[in-house]
Amino acid sequence: MTETAIAAAALGKRFGRRGGWALRECTFRLPVGRVCAVVGPNGAGKSTLLAHAAALLAPTEGSLTVLGTHPAAARERIAYVAQGKPLYPQLSVADTLLLGRELNPARWDASVAERIVAAGDLDPKARVRSLSGGQRTRVALALALGKRPELLLLDEPMADLDPLARHELMGLLMAEAAQYGTTVVMSSHVVAELEGSCDYLLLIGGGRVRLAGDLDDLLAAHLLTTGPVRDLDPHTVVESRTTGRQLTALIRPRGPLPTDGGATAPSLEELLLAHLRNPDAPALVLDPARTPAQEPAA
Amino acid sequence: MSALTARGTVARANDSGAFGGLPWTVLRLHRTALLLWGALLLAVVGTLIWMYAIGADARAGLSACATPATDTLPSCSDVEAINTDETYGIGIGLVDTALSYLTFPVAAWAGAALIGRELESGTAELAWTQSVTPVRWLTAKLAVPAALIATGTTLIVLLNVWARRDDNPDLVGDWYNPDVFLSTGPAAVAHVLAGLTLGALAGLVTRKALPAAGVAFAATLVLYNVVDWFRTSLWPTDTVTGRAALHLPRSSQVLEHGAVTTTGERIGNNLACVGYDNATDIKNCMARSGLSDFWATRHPESHFWPLQFMETGVLLAVAALSTAAAFRLLRRRTP
Repeated sequence: MTETAIAAAALGKRFGRRGGWALRECTFRLPVGRVCAVVGPNGAGKSTLLAHAAALLAPTEGSLTVLGTHPAAARERIAYVAQGKPLYPQLSVADTLLLGRELNPARWDASVAERIVAAGDLDPKARVRSLSGGQRTRVALALALGKRPELLLLDEPMADLDPLARHELMGLLMAEAAQYGTTVVMSSHVVAELEGSCDYLLLIGGGRVRLAGDLDDLLAAHLLTTGPVRDLDPHTVVESRTTGRQLTALIRPRGPLPTDGGATAPSLEELLLAHLRNPDAPALVLDPARTPAQEPAA
Repeated sequence: MSALTARGTVARANDSGAFGGLPWTVLRLHRTALLLWGALLLAVVGTLIWMYAIGADARAGLSACATPATDTLPSCSDVEAINTDETYGIGIGLVDTALSYLTFPVAAWAGAALIGRELESGTAELAWTQSVTPVRWLTAKLAVPAALIATGTTLIVLLNVWARRDDNPDLVGDWYNPDVFLSTGPAAVAHVLAGLTLGALAGLVTRKALPAAGVAFAATLVLYNVVDWFRTSLWPTDTVTGRAALHLPRSSQVLEHGAVTTTGERIGNNLACVGYDNATDIKNCMARSGLSDFWATRHPESHFWPLQFMETGVLLAVAALSTAAAFRLLRRRTP
């Protein structure tokens, strides 16, 4: 059996007694060593989910285990970069790394952190408050990776970066993760940011898990069909659109397909958009530890 | 042998005490406050040493005098020419006032800079996602400033008592004057510690720097005034009766004068006949006003320490309660 990085069981979070649910009945399992994209529209619950994994929030209901234990017990083995990249503005870059060393005495790897900072041509004496958004992200990543985490949680890590810096930092991140076998979980609503670097997908919408599983498996479980308008039973239809007498549909095939139409594998973007546009489409959670894929009854 | 020593050093460098590098982190993050505190301490210590040095001259400025000078008394014009007593009184008075009001800036700082700003900007969560639990974080955040503030305040109080020499009330004020009382005993330290913990609690409650500073200041202001109001009630008063009640020494803090009428009725808050000196005047005054006896409730100077310890106890209890509330709040919010 594969080791588990994050396992959520019916996880739910409500802010305040009468507030709405930010997360509800989230169940999924992320194996270690994966690079997982947490995707969803703004306000879907991505940040809330990551904050739970980082032991910053306690669930209202259900449970979450991280690296096989309670998130608070795994604190030393997790690194987390929050959306706003909070850093102490009064510290210099060098002092920020020193802080990482002092607060992670058992794990700190100064060479990793210094390499990341040096690659960005940052003056170690520069104050954090004087840095640009991209430079701050770089320092925040250096602080996170210097801890040599087993699980790296990144909340919208590249949101405020120009495409060049985004590409460069993403490459750096992937290289570090590959070298140490770090499990990476990053949230984003920019699909382009994820394509090519992620191999696991968690789609969240309205606080619920819509899709979870290996990216290739998820793509393979769907087909984009075109053909004359007809009943698509017994296939599960995620989205269907009719143009004149033509029907285009994203389906989860169950059984043989009609022969008088075309069927292509959807792109990641097509898969995500179809699910986001149709919140009522049934969820699909693929769990590598439990085969065959289980699809909750719609 | 040398290899052993080297390994020992490395182990220590990696594990600097029970808090890891947390105390260092707290000091580094609040370096400006630390430097300010150091500068304030230096200024106050310097002032107090100076006051001690001119203390003898200041007393000469209050000496009895005669015009012209006699064998035992200096000339009055000579005594009046001495200004040192004013400088001394102002210097000691400034230190007293600063020490009594120190709790307000400390509370505002603890609310805003120590806790509130960290929660507002998310840097607290940055610390909690290093290898530091929120509880250890708050412990260090409170313990390091508390140790520095308590040590510094104690030093100032001790030097203040030393610089006041014989406590001549004409120069340094009466012991029961609020500023004087608050700067010559352990209550000074307790006030500042209560300010620190109330500030930290305000920071945790509001989770924002500016509102935390406001709430902390307001809470400390209320505490200061409530304690000021009930200060004299924290220890049982003495009651003096008869003529002695009309002539209490200056070292007594008189809380109430009262008189008993010839019909046996007790009238509180009555200053009748107070200030009459000789027995005949008092007798006449009593006859005129129909009074048979007097009383006064007071705190003699011997009540200084019981009052100090009671006030210190109350304030430390407030500090302990607000600390407990702060930890409770933090534990409820984080897993």
